[in-house]
Amino acid sequence: MRRLMIAAAALALAGAAQAAGKAEAGKQKAAQVCAACHGPAGNKPTAPENPILAGQHYDYLVKALQDYKSGKRNNAIMKGFAASLSTREIEDLAAWFASQKSDLHYQR
Amino acid sequence: MLARILMAAALVAASGAAAAQKPAADPAHDKISMCIGCHGVPGYKTAYPVVYHVPKIGGQSATYIANALKAYRSGQRGHPSMRGVAASLSDADIAVLAAYYGGGK
Repeated sequence: MRRLMIAAAALALAGAAQAAGKAEAGKQKAAQVCAACHGPAGNKPTAPENPILAGQHYDYLVKALQDYKSGKRNNAIMKGFAASLSTREIEDLAAWFASQKSDLHYQR
Repeated sequence: MLARILMAAALVAASGAAAAQKPAADPAHDKISMCIGCHGVPGYKTAYPVVYHVPKIGGQSATYIANALKAYRSGQRGHPSMRGVAASLSDADIAVLAAYYGGGK
């Protein structure tokens, strides 16, 4: 029982750590930087090449933006946008898009 | 030499498994076995090279999924597991998977 509680506390902490970004700040930034291609909430891309971001995992979105910024993930369009973002802005954007609704789901 | 034998054995085992559960007419069924171990498990995280949730791909744009698989296959995108999976895919396989996960979009 005690172990279970410790595990639950650890999970709760991990959850808190994950939501480091501020969704409201991300919403403002998204309107300026991301909306033209992905839609304001990230669920209405304007071209099929552009992925749906709404409802995607926070940590995956953070990693994608970090990789675009560093050049590890090489996309001419995204590199330009990501290069201008601070770590805080990346976390805010990820928090915003991860908290939005879309059709993204686990599929077997 | 040993590596080659192991690889051959793994291939035989994999093809045997795929053949054994070959289902009806869904062309995606043979292919998604490579995907569902990570992308079909809610909350699953990759442990390598860093820990984060594997992305949700169900409902994503089919074009985006096809482009992603081709980028992994060419090495433009670098995730080790995804490069390994994508290396085995033909253009036709990629089209099938993109349609399966992309919800027809």
